Amino acid sequence: MSPLYWERHPDGPFATLIRVATTYCSPDADEDAYAGLKRLAKRENVEEMRVFKDELREALRDPTRLPDDELSKSVEYDDGSTEAFLRRLWHDLYGDEPIDMPSGHAT
Amino acid sequence: MGARDGLEKDEIHVPGTDTAHELALAEGLTDRVQAVPLDETRSRGEVYAEQRQRTEGGWEPRTFEAPRTELGRFDPEWAALPQISLEAATDYIAQHRTERPWLTAADAASPEARRILVAADIGDSHGHIRHEGWVTEEANMRRVAYREDPAQLDLDKRYQGIDGLRPGDRPHRCGNIATRVTDPDAFATAFARGAEHPKVRAALDIPFDADVWPGPVTVPIAELLGATGHQYCTGWQLEQVGDNTDTARENRSAWLRARREGREPDVPEPKVRPVPTFEGGDMLFVVGQNRTRDGYEIGTMHPEPPSFGH
Repeated sequence: MSPLYWERHPDGPFATLIRVATTYCSPDADEDAYAGLKRLAKRENVEEMRVFKDELREALRDPTRLPDDELSKSVEYDDGSTEAFLRRLWHDLYGDEPIDMPSGHAT
Repeated sequence: MGARDGLEKDEIHVPGTDTAHELALAEGLTDRVQAVPLDETRSRGEVYAEQRQRTEGGWEPRTFEAPRTELGRFDPEWAALPQISLEAATDYIAQHRTERPWLTAADAASPEARRILVAADIGDSHGHIRHEGWVTEEANMRRVAYREDPAQLDLDKRYQGIDGLRPGDRPHRCGNIATRVTDPDAFATAFARGAEHPKVRAALDIPFDADVWPGPVTVPIAELLGATGHQYCTGWQLEQVGDNTDTARENRSAWLRARREGREPDVPEPKVRPVPTFEGGDMLFVVGQNRTRDGYEIGTMHPEPPSFGH
């Protein structure tokens, strides 16, 4: 059985958030990957990033909805908590944009 | 520096390198620990770590029988790596073994495996640096306990947790687990077969986009190395604290921060233990951008146990 959440549950809740966060933020990601994610986040025509943003927003609203320990085990962040990691991620990618603003209405 | 890290020969004193706290054996296993032979040349730390891996991880050193014909046919360009001949690979190791000591692990490999390891070294892949037999059990144990990067050849910087491969003295990151393939032929075989596996190829072959990294994919170890392939994998993992994996990493960070600042930590010292088995586990391939930023390659590869889901 794959250790990767999104391989085990391709349609599972927050699969896109966990996959993208793992790819660009885990200890295995190279030093330029995070910069790539920041650029990718600004590209409004990338469907996966639209889904990612929605899932990130939902996770920030209620981190208890994330599947078990999957995000932590996958990304292995050093922010101290899931909430701290998600907040940092949102701020780094979307700056001061309010979390509650729906997709397609970015300022 | 030869195949073995200078720490192991007690050539350089680095504070904390031989402290025993993190090396404590699991309870009940002291009667199974073998006495250290008088002619033992390895450091105490390495003997201790290897004994723990044997008693708690059930590991025994083994030699993998390389599929030499198959490895000889492997085209490194298939993995976005440079072409190199058997002879050129041998010359490369002779030329670079001092400043790139991980190459010395290839001394024990078949020529065909050696060629693959050298191709990976010339490319931007680092799996053979951190996740192959050059890395000792002690180094792997210390990596997950103290975030000491085995790729960091400056021992003071290694002790400070500075990454050995990223520029700018950045902190080395290590998650809850550090693993390796213990035999260079096994590593090269897994790498070559992985590069030809449909899942890995799907990641390698996506049209290049400067903002996109394909990310990790997994292939069962048994598919790459056979039914006994897991016997060529070892690892160390942080003991979980409480009911989530965040706390162990956070405590480790706090403990290391206190040690760097010369004050008494207010959290327990990180505790680690050998991964009990890799049977049923997977090889994880991280596909990223190549050095010239015009294509994708296997950035690293390491085994994952079945019970350590990402």
